Amino acid sequence: MKTPASGFYRNPVKFRMPTSENLVPIRLDIEIDGQRYKDAFTWNPTDPDSEVVLFAKRTVKDLKLPPAFVTQIAQSIQSQLADFRSYEGQDMYAGEKIIPIKLDLRVNHTLVKDQFLWDLNNFESDPEEFARIFCKDMAIEDPEVGPAIAFAIREQLYEIAIQSVVSARESRLSKKGRRGAEYAPVSKGGAVAVDLVKLFGPKSSVVRKRKEWDVYEPIVDLLSNEEVDALEAKEERNFR
Amino acid sequence: MATNSPATAPPPPKPGDPPSSSTETTPPPPKQPPQPSPSPAKPEAPLSDSKPSTEATVVLVPSHSRWFSLHSIHQCEVRHLPEFFDSPSSSSKNPRVYKYYRNSIVKYFRYNPSRKITFTDVRKTLVGDVGSIRRVFDFLEAWGLINYLPSSSMNKPLKWDDKESKSESGSNTAEPPQPVRENTKRICSGCKAVCTIACFACDKYDLTLCARCYVRGNYRVGVSSSDFRRVEISEETKTDWSEKETLNLLEAVTHYGDDWKRVSQHVGGRTEKDCVAHFIKLPFGDQFLRYRDGGATDDTANQLRQNAAVAEFDSEAGGAAEHSKRMRLTPLADASNPIMAQAAFLSALAGSEVAYSAAQAAVATLSEAYKTTKNHRSFPRNTSLQEAGIASNGGTSSDSSQASRFHANILLEKEELDVEKAISEIIEVQMKNIQDKLLRFENSDLMIEKECQQLEQMKNLLFLDQLSLLFQKQSASKSGERTEGNGVKTN
Repeated sequence: MKTPASGFYRNPVKFRMPTSENLVPIRLDIEIDGQRYKDAFTWNPTDPDSEVVLFAKRTVKDLKLPPAFVTQIAQSIQSQLADFRSYEGQDMYAGEKIIPIKLDLRVNHTLVKDQFLWDLNNFESDPEEFARIFCKDMAIEDPEVGPAIAFAIREQLYEIAIQSVVSARESRLSKKGRRGAEYAPVSKGGAVAVDLVKLFGPKSSVVRKRKEWDVYEPIVDLLSNEEVDALEAKEERNFR
Repeated sequence: MATNSPATAPPPPKPGDPPSSSTETTPPPPKQPPQPSPSPAKPEAPLSDSKPSTEATVVLVPSHSRWFSLHSIHQCEVRHLPEFFDSPSSSSKNPRVYKYYRNSIVKYFRYNPSRKITFTDVRKTLVGDVGSIRRVFDFLEAWGLINYLPSSSMNKPLKWDDKESKSESGSNTAEPPQPVRENTKRICSGCKAVCTIACFACDKYDLTLCARCYVRGNYRVGVSSSDFRRVEISEETKTDWSEKETLNLLEAVTHYGDDWKRVSQHVGGRTEKDCVAHFIKLPFGDQFLRYRDGGATDDTANQLRQNAAVAEFDSEAGGAAEHSKRMRLTPLADASNPIMAQAAFLSALAGSEVAYSAAQAAVATLSEAYKTTKNHRSFPRNTSLQEAGIASNGGTSSDSSQASRFHANILLEKEELDVEKAISEIIEVQMKNIQDKLLRFENSDLMIEKECQQLEQMKNLLFLDQLSLLFQKQSASKSGERTEGNGVKTN
């Protein structure tokens, strides 16, 4: 499954999450009778489907939600899993891809903003490990931030993986053969792959330019209660 | 996953555990690691204190989870959650990750041990896929390592409603408690065992639980402990032994003795256990325990031995025997052997303690006499010595040779003693030798270690020096390059 990241040579690889564990990010956002349930977590697609129902029941019981949520939750999870599995048999390109990943999330009272580069070709990468170290280094006390970070990273990786599958399909359909040294594939909505040649070539140095320092610096903010309320109200309005 | 209901299979008991019955249906693991047994069914189940939290509050852990330690992984965890230990190469499912999940869940609970944590609370804080986290959580909860609140342990229904709640290990799954309507036999709805001693019946939901299940809270959601009332079931009230049955039992025992299977068949309608239990409870019953072949022997020694045994069992059976019962059962005393019958009668009359001491004395003297008759040959020397010693006071000439023999023997004994002493001294000296050698080796070991450490330090210093040198070189060359590069640009 691993391809030698040699220059611009691309050969298709079976679709999977470009991380060391093949976990699917699942996002839930269900509203029934005015009760809103938002959640995001990672799921192991090799778990049997019975687990889905179990998990739904468990969650509903733990959070004391009305039982109508059970079926909705289960359905949502299953449809996302099915999506993931539909991509599974197909090929995706694994070229030189270093993409910037952006974090911009708020978990309870903690606000996290960050941007960093991630190597898509590294199939041993571990967003969970990154999240753990991030929380440790930034001395984040809220234990819920870690999983949220891991989830955000995974989600973005997942989107990009999907796009690479799509692009692989397209290029196959077009049958125009390899288009030469196309080392900066433009993806429709996601991150643009960083131009490696420009970055690491002989004309520039590895050291980042000063003006980019702010962009790549992690920012962790602790919000007070009023700010949290204000932000939540804004989100609600956007949601509606 | 293993629960502690008797019907499923808890692991075999650890040697040092409080005695409690555990039925074992799983094959023991090949390595024979120490494994806990379920705690006996009492509301104040034996709790052992585990690690205190930082505020010096005591965290309670059920005794069957005593093996748990935050720093290591126990064999039964490996068994129950093999997914983390099977594939050593997987980076997501390895023991380190398992430990991380487990320890964080446990710490989260212990942070505030008076409230229960839900899976969703924990899941939100752990990085990883929710399926495995859920399995670890279930495992910990089943073993009482989290959400164990002993004061309200009776109110906590185990979450085994789902039939799908079987772990990957496949073994030791818990059976969901199905409410079973039973009429006479009083089968527990939780563990499907026959209730014997005490029972808890709930009228609201038609449940009957044995004491163990009740204490462990092995009932459905929605049922609370206050709905149950206690129903005493002792053997007598449950199954009164009628006169006829008792007679049958005793007949059978005299005929078949220890063959309880046939006894129970003869009695009819009682299990073996019942027969044995009831028989033991009968005050004199054990008299007949061993005297199947009472008619065959005529040996006096045998008789007296039997008598002693009889008396012993009498006293064991708890001397509060009723006179009427004894009288009623003396007809059975005319077994084929009249002597035995006499002995039985006498011991019955005389009372257990008297008979016991009498029998003991009789046995003691008998055995002594027996011994002396047998070992007569091995005491010739001593007896003759004693005789010689006594007779030598008389001073007859024929005794002089005996006297010299006497002296010779005394000297021999002395020599033996001396030799023994010498040997023991030699052994002592050799041991001291060995000890000294050991000490010397230890010292030299220490010295070598110290030298090793010194070497290591020197190595590190050298490495640092090399590194700094390299850095200096690089910065020198780089500054050289940059000046060159700038030079090019300006051009």
